[in-house]
Amino acid sequence: MKKLTLIFAALALLLNSTVNAVNPRDMKFPPLKFEPAEPVRFTTDNGMVVYFLENKELPVFTAGMLFKGGTAYDPADKSGLTELTARLLRTGGAGKRTPDQVDQDLDFVGANITSGATFDYLILDLRGLKKDVNLGLEILSDMMRRPGFDTAKIVMELSNKKDEILRQNDDPSQLTRRVFYQTVYAGHPYGQFPTMASIGNINREAILEQYRNYYNPDNCIMAISGDMTLDEVKSLVKKYFGDWPKGNRVIPLPPQAVMQYKPGVYYAEKDINQAQVRMGHLCMNDKNPDRYAMDILNFALGGGGFTSRLTGEVRTTAGLAYSVASYAVHRPDMGTFFAFCMTKAEAMGQATQMMLDIIKKVKDSGITQEEMDMAKESMMNGFVFNYVTPDQIVNAKAYHELSGFPPDQLKKDLESYKAVTLDDCRRVAAKYLDLQKMAIVITGNKALFDKPPDTFGPVTNFPMEIK
Amino acid sequence: MKKPLLFVTLILMIGLALPVIGMAQDSMQFPVNEFTLANGMTFLVVERHTSPVFSGFITVAVGSAYEKTGNIGSAHLLEHMMFKGSQTVGTTDYPAESALMVKEDSVWAKIDEARRQARYIKINHPENLDLHLKYIDSLKVVLDSLSAQSSRYVLQNEFDRIYTRNGAGEFNANTGYDRTQYYVSLPANRLELWFNMESDRMKYPAFREFFPERDVVSEERRGSVENSADSKMMEQLIGASFIAHPYRLFWEWQSEVLNLSRNDLADFFKTYYIPGRITVAVVGDVKTEEVKMLAEKYFGDMPGGPEPEPIYAVEPDQPGERRVEVVFESSPTVFIAYHMTAFDSPEQPAFQVINRLLADGRTSRLYKTLVLEKQICLDISAGYFPGAELGDNFPGIFTIYAYPKEGISTADVEKEIYAELNKLAAAPVDDKELTKIKNRIDAEFVWGFYSNLGLADKLAVAQNMAQDWHYLLKFRSNLKAVTANDIMSTAKKYFTKENRTVATLIPKQTGDAQ
Repeated sequence: MKKLTLIFAALALLLNSTVNAVNPRDMKFPPLKFEPAEPVRFTTDNGMVVYFLENKELPVFTAGMLFKGGTAYDPADKSGLTELTARLLRTGGAGKRTPDQVDQDLDFVGANITSGATFDYLILDLRGLKKDVNLGLEILSDMMRRPGFDTAKIVMELSNKKDEILRQNDDPSQLTRRVFYQTVYAGHPYGQFPTMASIGNINREAILEQYRNYYNPDNCIMAISGDMTLDEVKSLVKKYFGDWPKGNRVIPLPPQAVMQYKPGVYYAEKDINQAQVRMGHLCMNDKNPDRYAMDILNFALGGGGFTSRLTGEVRTTAGLAYSVASYAVHRPDMGTFFAFCMTKAEAMGQATQMMLDIIKKVKDSGITQEEMDMAKESMMNGFVFNYVTPDQIVNAKAYHELSGFPPDQLKKDLESYKAVTLDDCRRVAAKYLDLQKMAIVITGNKALFDKPPDTFGPVTNFPMEIK
Repeated sequence: MKKPLLFVTLILMIGLALPVIGMAQDSMQFPVNEFTLANGMTFLVVERHTSPVFSGFITVAVGSAYEKTGNIGSAHLLEHMMFKGSQTVGTTDYPAESALMVKEDSVWAKIDEARRQARYIKINHPENLDLHLKYIDSLKVVLDSLSAQSSRYVLQNEFDRIYTRNGAGEFNANTGYDRTQYYVSLPANRLELWFNMESDRMKYPAFREFFPERDVVSEERRGSVENSADSKMMEQLIGASFIAHPYRLFWEWQSEVLNLSRNDLADFFKTYYIPGRITVAVVGDVKTEEVKMLAEKYFGDMPGGPEPEPIYAVEPDQPGERRVEVVFESSPTVFIAYHMTAFDSPEQPAFQVINRLLADGRTSRLYKTLVLEKQICLDISAGYFPGAELGDNFPGIFTIYAYPKEGISTADVEKEIYAELNKLAAAPVDDKELTKIKNRIDAEFVWGFYSNLGLADKLAVAQNMAQDWHYLLKFRSNLKAVTANDIMSTAKKYFTKENRTVATLIPKQTGDAQ
C-alpha cells in the first residue's frame, strides 16, 4: 500500500512538474582532465624565439610578433612616439612596396596585419589563409626589416594623432581612464599621454631611432599557429627573418613608479547626466608573490562579475549601476588597484560611498571562505579556456617568456592560486588596499550630484583644456 | 522525482540532406546534425574535438521590434531577468518569495495608479496634492520593505554563481531587434549542467529583484546611449529614418522601461518564449547522441504556445531627404542612412558587397578617398542597421559613419561621400576590385569557424532567421554571385537624396547662451 501511494504521489508530481529533476546547484562534476596542446619552441641564430602550434582544422595561419618596449618607453618630450612608430610600421610602406601596395596586397587576399603598443609591449599580428602565408610573412618581414616610413604618411599620422588629442575628452570613459593614470602615475612614463606639443616634437629621425632601438630579433618573440608543419615554419622563419641582424640593445625596465600624487578627488567636469567614478592607487608589480592572493581577493571584491560584492551590492541590490567592477592590474614595473562605476549623476555620492565602504570592509576583514572557494573553483574549472584557440595558446607563451616568466607559467599560476589561504587574503587586503592613498576620479556635472565631490576628500579640478 | 522517459513523448526529426558545412575548396568540413523536438524547438550540433570545451547558443525569435507602446523595454529587461535564476535556482523558498512578489506587484500597481491620479488632483484639488504625494511616498516605503523581506529568500545571483564556479567563459546574452540570444562556453564535461540551467530558466523563470533590475536597465541606457556621442547620433538617425516600422526605436526610453511591471514581462515571456521560436546550437567537444538525449530530457516538456502576431508594419517609401542635428559635448560627426532591404531580398547580396567595397579594409573606397587621399576624415566606416551579420528580418538601413578632421565641415565630408556613392551608380566596378571583395568574403567565411561560439552563433541565427541553417552557405554563394551590374543598379536605385537621412553632431560649447 505504502509503495502504491508513493507511486501515485510521484505521478502527481510529474503531471504538475514545476522543477527539473535535479537542482543545477546540486550537480557535481569531476575536474576536467586534459592535456593542453604544447607549442614547439625554437630559437633562430639571431636570437629570436619562436613558438609554433600546428593546427590543421582550418586552412588559416596566425603570426604574432611581440617586443619589449611600449608607450612607457616614450622619450619624455615625445609622448606618442612609440604608438606612432608602431602605426607607421604598418602604414608607411615596407621593402619594395609603397604604403598603398602593402594595403592592396593584403586586402586582395583578405589577410590582415595590425601593429600597436601597450604600456609595456609592442605587438604585431598577421593573420590570413594558409595559401597566403608567404605573402603575409614577406610583408611582415619587410615591415620589420625594411620599413618605408614614407614621409607623406608620417605627416598624415602626426596630423591624425593631433586630431585624436583634440577628441580626447569626448568619451567619458576614456577621459576618466586618462585622468586616473595621469594622476596615480604622475612623474612616471605610465602617466604621460601625448599632447599637441609632444607630437610636434616628433619627426622621421625620432621614429627611425625608436624603430632601431626596439624592433630587433633579439628583443622579439614570434608566435605562429595554424595549418603548417614545423619544418615549413622553420624554413619560412629562416627565409624571412634568418638574416635579420641582431640589435644588441639593452631594454631597461621603466623607472620605478612612486606615489607622487596627493590622495583625494580629481574632478573632470563634463556636461553629462551620468557620473563615472574610478578610485584606486598604485598596487604591485607582476612578479610580486602576493599577486595571487590579490587576484583572489579582487575576484571577491569586484573582479568576479556577478559573484562579486561590488556587483551584488551596487548593481543587483541597489540598482545603481550597470557597470561596476574592480581591477588588480599587475605591470612589469608597478600596477594599480582600482574600482570603477557608472551611475546616474544624482547617485554619484551614494554609489561612491558604497564602493568605499565595500573596499574598507574587505581591507578590514578580508573575504570569506565561500568567496575564496568561488574564485578558486572558477579559475580551476575555467583553466581550460586558456587553451582553446591555437593563436591564444602561442601568444600566451610568447607573452610569458618576454615578460620573464617560465614557459609553464600558466600551470604555475594555477598551483599558486590553489595554495592561497584566507589568511593570505586578509594579510594582502590589509597591506595593499589603502583608502588613505585613493585617487578618486569623478567625471560628470557636479551641479547634478547628490553630494559635492569634496565629500570624498580635497578636490583637484582636472584641467580640461587641450594642450 | 526522476522522470521516466516513458512519460516524455518525443519525435526526433533528423535532417535528411547531407548536412555538411564548409566546402572542399576551403579544405574544411563540419558535419551539422539537426533535430527538432515535438514541441518545435530546433537543435544544431557540430562535434568539434580540438579542445575539451563547448559553446551553447540559444536564440529566441523576439527582440525589441516586437514591443508596442506600453511594453517597450520588455525584450531587454526580460533578458536581464533571465539571469535571476528560476523557481529553484536563486531561492531558498519559492512559494514564500513568490507570495511577496505578488504583494510587491499590487503595491506597484497602486503607485502607478496614484501617479496618474496626481495629475488630476493637481488641477482639480490642489489642496490635496501634498497629501497625495505623501501617500505615493508611503507606498514606495512599503514596496522597499516588501523587497527587503523577499530578499531574505533570495540567493543573490546564484544562476551566475553556478556557471562561474563551473568555469564558464564567454557567458552573456544580448537583446537585438529581431532576436534575443543567450550563450555560454563551458568545460566539455558540463554539458548536462548547461541543459539543466538553460531549460530551468526557460521553463520555470522567476523574475525576482525586479525593481532594482529595472533601474539597472535604465542605467545601461544612460551609459550606452545618453552619454555616448555615437549612440545619441544613432538614436536620432534611426528615429528620423523610420516612421512606421518598429526598427525606429534604437533603444528603450527611460519613461517606458521605468514603468514596466513584472506582469508585462510575464506576458511578453509567455507570448514569445515558446519552443517553436527557439533555436539552439551546440558546438564543441560533445557527442550528438548525448545532446539529443539531454535535449529530450530537459526541453522535451517545455510547453508550446500559439504563434504570436507577426510584425505587419511596412516602412513606407521615404518622400524626401530628412536631416537631424544632435547637440552634444563631443566633436563633429556625420552619419548617413539609406533605406535598404531585408535579408531575403534579391538585392541584399549587392548591399553586402557594396558595404565591403566602400568601407572594408584600408583599400576600400571611402577609407581610401576620405581618410588616406583627401585626408578630410580621421575615420570612416559603413554598416547596416539593425545590422545582423547575415541580414535583418525586415528592411533596415545602410549606414555610413564619418569622423571629420579638425577644421573640415561635415558638409564637405558629405559631398565627398555622395561623390563616391555616385561613382558606384555611374561606372561598373572593375574585375580586380570585385575579385578582391570575393576573396575577402571567402577569408571571412573561413575565419567564421575559428571559435566555437562564433560558429554556434552563425548556425543558430541562420536557422532562426531563414528556418534553415543552410542559409549560411547560401549567403556566401549569393554574395559571390553579385555582378558589377547588380552593384550599379542597386546603387542607382537606393543611394538617392529622397531615400536618405542625415544626422550631424554639433559640438556643445559649455556656457553657450543658446
